[in-house]
Amino acid sequence: MTLSRIWVGCLTLIACLGFLTGCWDRTEMDDLALVMASGLDLSEDGRVEITLQIALPTGIPSALQSGGKAAKPVLVVSAKGKDSIDALDRLQQQLSRRINLGHRGIIVVGEKYARRGFDQVLDTLLRSPESRYNSYIVTAYGTTAKKILEAPYLMEIIPSIGINKLQYSDFSLSVKTDKFIDALASFGKSPVTGAIKIMKQGAGQQTYIIDKAAVYKRNKLVGFLSGKELKAFRLVAGRSRDMKLTTQMEPPKKEYKGTVTIRLLKATPKIRTEIKNGNPEVSVSLNALGSILSNDTSMDMSKVIPLVEKKFAADLQEEITKTISHTQKKFKSDIFGFGNRIHIEHPYAWKKMKEDWDELYPKASVQVKTVMVLERVGRTQAPAHQQKK
Amino acid sequence: MKVTGMQVFWMIFIMDVGMTLIMTLTPSLQAAKQDVWISILVAGCIILFATLLVTNAALLHPDQTLIQLSQTVLGKWIGKVVVVVYLVQWYTILPIVLRQFIDVVHILILPATPKAAIMLIMLLLIGYATYSGGIVSIARCSEVLGPIIILMVILVVVASINHADLKYLLPVYADSGMMNIVKGALPPASYLGHSVEYLMLASFLYQPRKGAPYAFWGVIAATFFVLIAMLMATVSIGTNLAPKMWYPFFEMSRKISLFGFIENFDPLTIVIWVASVFIKLAIYLFITSYGTAQFLNIKNWKTLIFFIAPVVMAFAYFPQNVSEATANYLLNYWVPYALPINMIGLPLLLLIVGKIRMAKN
Repeated sequence: MTLSRIWVGCLTLIACLGFLTGCWDRTEMDDLALVMASGLDLSEDGRVEITLQIALPTGIPSALQSGGKAAKPVLVVSAKGKDSIDALDRLQQQLSRRINLGHRGIIVVGEKYARRGFDQVLDTLLRSPESRYNSYIVTAYGTTAKKILEAPYLMEIIPSIGINKLQYSDFSLSVKTDKFIDALASFGKSPVTGAIKIMKQGAGQQTYIIDKAAVYKRNKLVGFLSGKELKAFRLVAGRSRDMKLTTQMEPPKKEYKGTVTIRLLKATPKIRTEIKNGNPEVSVSLNALGSILSNDTSMDMSKVIPLVEKKFAADLQEEITKTISHTQKKFKSDIFGFGNRIHIEHPYAWKKMKEDWDELYPKASVQVKTVMVLERVGRTQAPAHQQKK
Repeated sequence: MKVTGMQVFWMIFIMDVGMTLIMTLTPSLQAAKQDVWISILVAGCIILFATLLVTNAALLHPDQTLIQLSQTVLGKWIGKVVVVVYLVQWYTILPIVLRQFIDVVHILILPATPKAAIMLIMLLLIGYATYSGGIVSIARCSEVLGPIIILMVILVVVASINHADLKYLLPVYADSGMMNIVKGALPPASYLGHSVEYLMLASFLYQPRKGAPYAFWGVIAATFFVLIAMLMATVSIGTNLAPKMWYPFFEMSRKISLFGFIENFDPLTIVIWVASVFIKLAIYLFITSYGTAQFLNIKNWKTLIFFIAPVVMAFAYFPQNVSEATANYLLNYWVPYALPINMIGLPLLLLIVGKIRMAKN
């Protein structure tokens, strides 16, 4: 027993050491090019242009050696190719470290490419083992993804972390890759993403701004929602965290502008659908709870709350109705997911409808009801600085 | 070699849960869509019925394994034919499970590592576990690994709660219908149906007559965990994407993102996967070598390990690609043949013939 057992033991041990580590897939940190963001553009000759923002560990100053002239923290490279993998291969030829997409937090799509539809890249997003769902997808408007990724951003060491944080805090609209693809794959909903551009802030300084929503119809970008429309969309989509609304309560005078601003504490949208004579009817109702932030009128807020509530409700109703009819008439794209709602409430009718939903949606009649309750008014009643008459 | 009832519970639970979770979700989702949870309940019922048959059949001659039992009950020749049917099941499941194990490891974590390296290490491990103590060491391993697996499943499910969107479960029934729900129930039923191996394990129990409840609870617990995990996968990934993925349960764990810094939980599911594959392969290796030895009247069953292991490794190379190994085997052999014949038909036959014989005596 003894000798052969020792032999077997030794062999097993060696085999374990050799195989268990999975050495073929070993990657050292300093052999990796950690891609923080990637951009997709359409080049003039119709090929895909991929831009990668790669973090340079040596360029990131550590806490101890802060100060002094730091090297650039990121490297931005781009290459064109027949498809995304082809372009990535070309990029790899420029890079001494292996491209690793495991930490990619942001995917930027250039407006031109988005308008033409970028399905040829979408599949790669989910197929590769190191790709993640948790990266945000944003659409560049009026510019290319390359320009976005090349822009410096002073607030964060790595610019794409800045975009990532803007998206994470959900100030306007943030969409992750899997939600985007999920909407693309479903019949009753069109995808949206946040839309990003670069803002010049004087003296050569730049910031990003994500203040629009890019509206897609199937895989093609068809337009943008901004300002009040974006707010209306977020309200109906139930993503109204920390939203502020302003309304004109009184005609503007010399002393004041006559506006009241509130912060939304809670907004619960409800979408119901009905099928009447084979035609879909959608009713949207929104119950909002707000708190007054500023009062630039002569009114005493303790007395006129019902009035303000009514005004806000009417405003919201108008805005939401306008936005929905905008998406019906101009975009013909069901970004609110009314189709999915019909699917849930009238599954058998939906079976006949779902293939033609793109044509049916613009014709659907939509009713909007809004209720606003102002729960808090702040510390003062009438504006404290005004002279009492 | 003797095992306790609790160990049988864990063995059946692990054999059922890990593989079902990871391998059978996609075909069920494709058939039943958001009603996949109903499919699991149906599958659970099918398997409880199979377990009822199996446990009662084992009671006919509690001290005999399936190999001896079928020959005592059905006579020498028909008995041998029945045994061959089971041996086909065991000899094919071994390389397929091994291959599926490698495919998962390849697709998800180690794309560049050669197949042989991953296979060898797993084969050495199960070979060692089987050789060193037979069913006893495997049983003790599963007693240790079982609770860990449960913990990991719970962790993954709980950590995915913030992604859950219950709307994905609606509309109930309308999209799929009865036929599709049953169709979706068959793949998980066939993988949950490992309680058939109770026929081999029962004779090793300290008290073979009291083993049945443990088999039942093993199946119930496995069905329950598969149910909550599948529900979670449906509501977190959604019915648009999940049916297109090979391993939705894995994908769900990759989606986990908590508080902005806990991300990519896939190592946890790898633990579930590796642990359950290890137990499953080890049990099958034991059953196959022990069964073959009894079948061919070979005295020392352990020598057969050295024969079976290389054969298994060679056969694992057979499937050309992942869809042959995962989908074709499951849908062309396991569901249409193994489930109705090996898991329900033959135990029923054994039970009926056995009861008639008993009544005659």
